[in-house]
Amino acid sequence: MTDVVKYLVSFEVNGESHRRDVDPRLLLVDMLRDDLRLTGTHVGCSTGNCGACTVVLDGKTVKSCCVLAADVEGSRILTIEGMSEGPDQLHPVQEAFVENHGLQCGYCTPGMVLSARQLLESNPSPSEEEIRRGIAGNLCRCTGYVFIVKSIQAAAEATTTDKRPSAEGAEPNP
Amino acid sequence: MITESYEFFAPTSVDEALSLLARHGDDAKVLAGGMTLVPIMTLGLTQPAAVVSLNHLSGLDQVQEETDSVAIGARATHHTLETHATVSSHFPLLSEAASSIGDPQIRHRGTLGGSLAHADPAADYPPVMLALGARFVLRSRSGERVVAAGDFFVDLLTTALRADELLTEIRIPKLEPGTGTAATKLHRVEGSFGIVTAAATISGCGRRGKLAVGGVAPIPVLIDLDSHLVEGPSEAAHATIASEVWERSADASPDLTASVEYKRSMARVMARRVIDHAVERAGAKGGQS
Repeated sequence: MTDVVKYLVSFEVNGESHRRDVDPRLLLVDMLRDDLRLTGTHVGCSTGNCGACTVVLDGKTVKSCCVLAADVEGSRILTIEGMSEGPDQLHPVQEAFVENHGLQCGYCTPGMVLSARQLLESNPSPSEEEIRRGIAGNLCRCTGYVFIVKSIQAAAEATTTDKRPSAEGAEPNP
Repeated sequence: MITESYEFFAPTSVDEALSLLARHGDDAKVLAGGMTLVPIMTLGLTQPAAVVSLNHLSGLDQVQEETDSVAIGARATHHTLETHATVSSHFPLLSEAASSIGDPQIRHRGTLGGSLAHADPAADYPPVMLALGARFVLRSRSGERVVAAGDFFVDLLTTALRADELLTEIRIPKLEPGTGTAATKLHRVEGSFGIVTAAATISGCGRRGKLAVGGVAPIPVLIDLDSHLVEGPSEAAHATIASEVWERSADASPDLTASVEYKRSMARVMARRVIDHAVERAGAKGGQS
C-alpha cells in the first residue's frame, strides 16, 4: 500500500492518554486490540451486528468495528479492562454475571457486560423487557439469554440495595 | 479491516466541511455516525478516495423549537430523537421510529442526517419525513437551498444532494392540534432492518391525513388520505386505501427476507395498523390517548 496519509489522534482509554498516528483505514476495535493490546474487546462480525466489540465512547456504548480510529480525536473510551475500580476487583455487573452463570463461552461477555452497565446507569431498576431491549445489540450464541437477563436483574438489585452512588453520580433508589 | 486506502478529514466547522466537499466532489463520502458507511467500507462495497467526518463539527446536532416548526440538526443521533422531549411531544411518530432503529449502540452513534442521506428504501425515517411534510436544508459553498422531503428522495440510495452539498438541518412543521401520528415497521427480530415501514398522520377529526410506506418501491410512497377519508376512517376507507397501497407498491423488489407479493400484502397490513393507531391517537373515534 503506497501513499497512505496517516492521521494523528489523541484520545483516552481507561483513563490513560494516548497519541497515535493511525492509518485512516484502521477500525477502533483493531487499534484497541492490536495496538493497545486491550484484547478484552472482541471481534465477531466486523459489520455492526454482533456487539462483541462494544466499548463506551464518550459515555455511550458503541460498536467499535463501526468507528474509525482516526475519528476518536479528543474522545474518552472505556473498555472492559477499565470497568472495575482495580485489577482484583469486579464491577457489580461482572460479579452478577459470575454469580448467575451469565456466560458460557465468554465471547459476547465483555460487550454484554458493558451494555448492561449502560442500561443500569440510565435505568437502575429495569423490567425484563427493558433488559432485553438494553442488550438487543449484543448477540449470544450459547446461553439463550435467560441467565444473562437474570444476571442483569441481580446486578440491578445489588446496586439499588447497595446505596452506592451509580457511575453517573446519581443518588441510588432507596 | 478496510482494504482500500483513502484520505481522512475531520473538519471542525461546516464551512471547512463544505470546502472539502467542493474540492473532492464525488470522490468523497461524508461520514456521520458511520453505522452504514463503515461496515460497507469494511465489506468493500464502497471505496471512497476521501472520507469527510462530521464528528468534530460543533453544532448541527441540536433540536430547536421555533414558532411554526421544529428544526433538527442533521447530526442529531437516533438516541437524541428517541429521548428528546420536544421531539416526542410534537412528533411522537419520529421518537417511535428512532427508538426502533437497530439497537442501543447503533442509536447512540447513528444520525438522522446520515440515514436520510443514505436513502435506503426500507429505512425508518423517510416515510416519517414524508408524512410530516419535512423540509431539508442542503448547504454548499455557493449557498443554501431547502428541499421538500418528497423531492429529496430521488431513487434507490439516491437523493437530491449534489456532491458538494451537505444536509445540515431537517425542518418539520408543527402539527395542527388534534393530529394523531404513528409509525410502525415489519421486521423479523428486534434490531433487524425493516421489510416494510409505514407512517401516518391523521387530522380533521379523522377526515384528513397522510400515509407514507417504505420498502415497497425505490423511494417511499406517499398517499394523500383526504379523498379516502371523506366519511372518516371507515371500513370502506380502509378498503380503498388498501387498494391504493397495493397498486403503488408494484415496484417492490424481492430480497432475502421477503417476496414482492409478501411485501405488497404486508404493506396493506402495516398501512391499516399505522392509520388505526394514528386515528386512535387523534381521538377521531371518540377515544383519547
